[in-house]
Amino acid sequence: MMQVRFFEFRQFVVLALAFVALAGVSCSRPSISNQNAVPDNTRVLKDALGRDVSMPRDVKRVVSLAPNLTEMIYAVGGGEKLVGDTTYCDFPEAAKSVQKIGDTMSPNMEAIIALHPDVVLVSTASQIEAFMRTLAERNIAVYVVDARSVEDVLAGLLTIGDILGTRPKAEETVAALRQRLDSVRSQVDGKATRRVFVQISKEPLFTAGREAYLNEVVRVAGGESVTQQIPGAYPNLSRETASKLDPDAIIISDNEGNHEPDSAFANSAAVKNGQVFRINADLLARPGPRIVDAVEAAARDLHPEAFKEK
Amino acid sequence: MKRAVKIAVVLLAVLAAALAAALLFGAEWATPFSTDVGERAILFDIRLPRVLLGACVGASLAVAGAGLQALLRNPLAEPYLLGVSNGAALGTMMAFVVFGNYVFARPLLAFAGAAVASVVVYSLARTRAGMNVERLVLSGVIVTTFLSSVIIMLTTLLDAARLRSFTFWLLGDLSQATWSGVYLSFGAVVIATIILTSQSRALNLMMLGERDAVDFGVEVGRVRLLVFGASSLVVGAAVAASGSVGYVGLIVPHLLRLAVGSDNRIVVPMSAIAGAAFVVLADLAARVAIAPRELPVGAITALLGAPLFIYLLRKN
Repeated sequence: MMQVRFFEFRQFVVLALAFVALAGVSCSRPSISNQNAVPDNTRVLKDALGRDVSMPRDVKRVVSLAPNLTEMIYAVGGGEKLVGDTTYCDFPEAAKSVQKIGDTMSPNMEAIIALHPDVVLVSTASQIEAFMRTLAERNIAVYVVDARSVEDVLAGLLTIGDILGTRPKAEETVAALRQRLDSVRSQVDGKATRRVFVQISKEPLFTAGREAYLNEVVRVAGGESVTQQIPGAYPNLSRETASKLDPDAIIISDNEGNHEPDSAFANSAAVKNGQVFRINADLLARPGPRIVDAVEAAARDLHPEAFKEK
Repeated sequence: MKRAVKIAVVLLAVLAAALAAALLFGAEWATPFSTDVGERAILFDIRLPRVLLGACVGASLAVAGAGLQALLRNPLAEPYLLGVSNGAALGTMMAFVVFGNYVFARPLLAFAGAAVASVVVYSLARTRAGMNVERLVLSGVIVTTFLSSVIIMLTTLLDAARLRSFTFWLLGDLSQATWSGVYLSFGAVVIATIILTSQSRALNLMMLGERDAVDFGVEVGRVRLLVFGASSLVVGAAVAASGSVGYVGLIVPHLLRLAVGSDNRIVVPMSAIAGAAFVVLADLAARVAIAPRELPVGAITALLGAPLFIYLLRKN
């Protein structure tokens, strides 16, 4: 009997404490929703899915759910507004010390809400379904930036500049990137097009297919992807087919478990002539501002003679 | 015994046809008579080891399933349900994480994982009153789910690049076949099939009930040890080489029993041959269905296995 009473008392104390804590929280955070209800303070922007996303004119706090978006935020000078990012976000250095909210695949909803962001930037359509409603209820805008080409990356930088109120800096960044791309184009201009195989992963063998922006990266660098007709973005390629492609250069998205070309390429011109190049996967696999670094690296690898004296 | 020979001839013919078809077709065209270096590389360096590895993996999983089902007198007993496969999978993952790509680490740790899982399940199920079959299957389920959660935790902790190859590998994938993998799996499956077949008479008697089997002079403990040991060996080798190709250990022995009856002296060795043919054909489908892209073979075995199973169940 005594024991039962003791537990009842304990439960009461716990409940009471919980109430006090809740009351404290709700006092310290006067409802945010009201201040955003004023139309003058909000604006509507179309995102990559064609949705009208309304958000404050003056965005102060932003959360990024993908490493390429984090890089874009820093590139347009919005770094100090970034209050949360993912465990994958490791560039620039400052991104590492930003509050982590989980990874891109499984972001932690509670952690995001606790940061009180004005906008959450998302990179893919697939992520959005899960937390649209929950975040919308709290007046947190979810904005999709889906970069599927180099041009998308540049456009995305300007959009993020708009969102974060750093448009001039964004334009500056984009102009500089465009200039670097043009410079690569002019340097490889007139050079024979290299036949390139892009190896995304070795076991199993993944490459860049029809929908991959890497085709464009290779093209600007003076090459042509030998798998650009294969359906899908990153198809799992038959090693039999791989052995018939006979590329004259192989670009490896350098990452753990992906340093060497698949043995199916043993007889290819690329391997025989030592034309196997490794480019850091973070540059190649993230459609962000450093994609231009990847283009430059690929161009130097594919056409070293074009860069000799400059 | 005449019947056994007849069944063996039929199944070997099926296996031969499956092997021939699998060698003839693929994402690219290649004939053994070609003198072209590229075609010969496709056929002998890529396709042939893959087809042979598929045969070994299929034989391994099916013969282990047949042995375990007979031992436990439970139609659901299967390397997966008993945690043996997950033990092997966890062992292989540990090999990746701790030893990188060191060649022998994978099969050794896979075997160790399968063996440890078997021993744990076995000792959990053992009571003072002896072995209880329900308890064994229950322990198997518990160990399986526990190991699954450890595997999921590990894949979550690994970085994104590794994650992709693991999720693929967990579905079963034969595309990384090497000759050393073929030799290893072949050796394991030959040894295990011999051991399991040698116990098939005892397994027949044990199906009458363990007490009756003891009366007939069967050393029940020894049979258990041999069956568990042999299944761990083959499942470890198969999982290390190709990940978790599902359904084979369940489907193949069942189909055989529906077709030829439940005499383990026939079902156990014939499961090896039928399992080989099944996986070779499933992998052929995985290679050509959406060529030049590929599907994981585990998806095909599940896709083919389930309807085939239902059809045969209804027909009988």
